[in-house]
Amino acid sequence: MNIRHHPDESLLLAYAVGASDEATGLIIATHMVFCAQCRRSVALMEKIGGGLLDTLPAAPLSAAARDAVLARLDEPAPAPARLPPSRDGTPGVLRSYLGGDLSDVRWRRMGPSLAYKPLFKRDGISAKLLRGAPGTEVGHHTHRGQEFTLVLSGGFSDITGNYDPGDLQIADGNLRHSPIADPGEDCINLAVTTAPLKFENLIQKIAGPLFGF
Amino acid sequence: MDALLRRVAEAKDRAAFAALFDHFAPRIKSYLMRLGAPPSQAEDLAQEAMLSLWRKAHLFDDSKASAATWLFTIARNLRIDAIRREKRPELDPQDFEPEAEPDADAVITLAADEVRLRAALKTLPPDQAAVIEQSFFADKPHSQIASEQGIPLGTVKSRLRLAMARLKAALGDAS
Repeated sequence: MNIRHHPDESLLLAYAVGASDEATGLIIATHMVFCAQCRRSVALMEKIGGGLLDTLPAAPLSAAARDAVLARLDEPAPAPARLPPSRDGTPGVLRSYLGGDLSDVRWRRMGPSLAYKPLFKRDGISAKLLRGAPGTEVGHHTHRGQEFTLVLSGGFSDITGNYDPGDLQIADGNLRHSPIADPGEDCINLAVTTAPLKFENLIQKIAGPLFGF
Repeated sequence: MDALLRRVAEAKDRAAFAALFDHFAPRIKSYLMRLGAPPSQAEDLAQEAMLSLWRKAHLFDDSKASAATWLFTIARNLRIDAIRREKRPELDPQDFEPEAEPDADAVITLAADEVRLRAALKTLPPDQAAVIEQSFFADKPHSQIASEQGIPLGTVKSRLRLAMARLKAALGDAS
C-alpha cells in the first residue's frame, strides 16, 4: 500500500514511549495497520526503549519481592478478552473500540450525506468515525486545536492534497480547509480532535457543537 | 538474557525466570520511578511485568525483539493501564502481513542490530540524544520539553528526525 501522509517522528515516538493520549494512540496505531514504514519506525523506537531499560541503574526491590512473584507463577493467567474474528477486515485495534466491525456501526445522521459515530472523549480529546457519501463537502473550517484524520476507506481531498486509505492528515490552527469526499465509495475516516472545530457557515456553527464537533 | 527467556518459553524454567527477574525487575522499577511512580507502586508494577513475562513467554519471538525490548513494551503498557488508567491502543499482529518470514539468521541479525543500535545511540550528538532520552523518561509531550528548554517545538522535532535518521542508517534501513 502506498501511504503518502504519515505521522511525524514526534507522534510516533510519543506512541512508542506510551506518552500519547488514548485517542491519538488509537489513530497512530490504526495508521500503522496500513503502514509498514511507521511500524518499522515504532519497532526501532521500542528497541531504543529496550536498550535504555537494560542500561538503567538498578533500583533494588524489597527482599521478598522475587519470592512473592515466584509463588504466583502457577496461578491461572487471566484469559485475554477476544472479539470474534472480523467479517469485513476491520483492524483489530479499532474493533476493540467499536465492539465489532465497521460494517456493524450504527451511524448517527448529520444531514443527507454525512454521518458520524462517537467513540470516546477524554480530557477534551475526542475520537469519532465520520462517513461522507461520495462528493460530500464538509464545509470550510479552521481549528482551535489539532485535528487528525485517518482515511479508513474511500478518500478525500482538500487544498493540501489527496488522502487515501491509511493516509493521516494533521491539521492545526494554521489550516483552513473544506475536505471533499472523493467520488466512488463512501469515505470513512477516524478523526481525533483536541478542541472543537471552527465552522464558517452559520448553520454548521450552530449544529457543530450539538453534534460534538 | 534472551537465552534465559527462551528457556522460560520452552521449558517453564523457574531458575531462568529468577535470573531474568534479578536483572530486569530492578531496572523496570527504576524506569517507572523515573517516570514519576512512587517506589512502592513501581515495585508492584515491576513484579506484575515479570509475572506477565512468565505468562506470555510462549509468545516471545526472539527474531523480532530482545528480552529487554519486550519487557520495555510490557512495562510501558502496564504503566498506562495502572497510572494513567487508560488502555493502550495496541496493534493486532493479525492485521497485517509479516514483513518477511523469519529465517535461521534472523535471531543473529536482531542481536547484531541491537548492538549496532546501542553503539549508534552513544554517538548521537548530545542535543539529539537528550531529546530521545527525555522522550522515554520525562513523560511530557514534546511541546512541553521544548518550552521548558526555551527552544522552539520545531527544533525538538528536527532533532528527533535527525536522530531517527541516524539510527535507521546505522541499522542499514534507508526508508
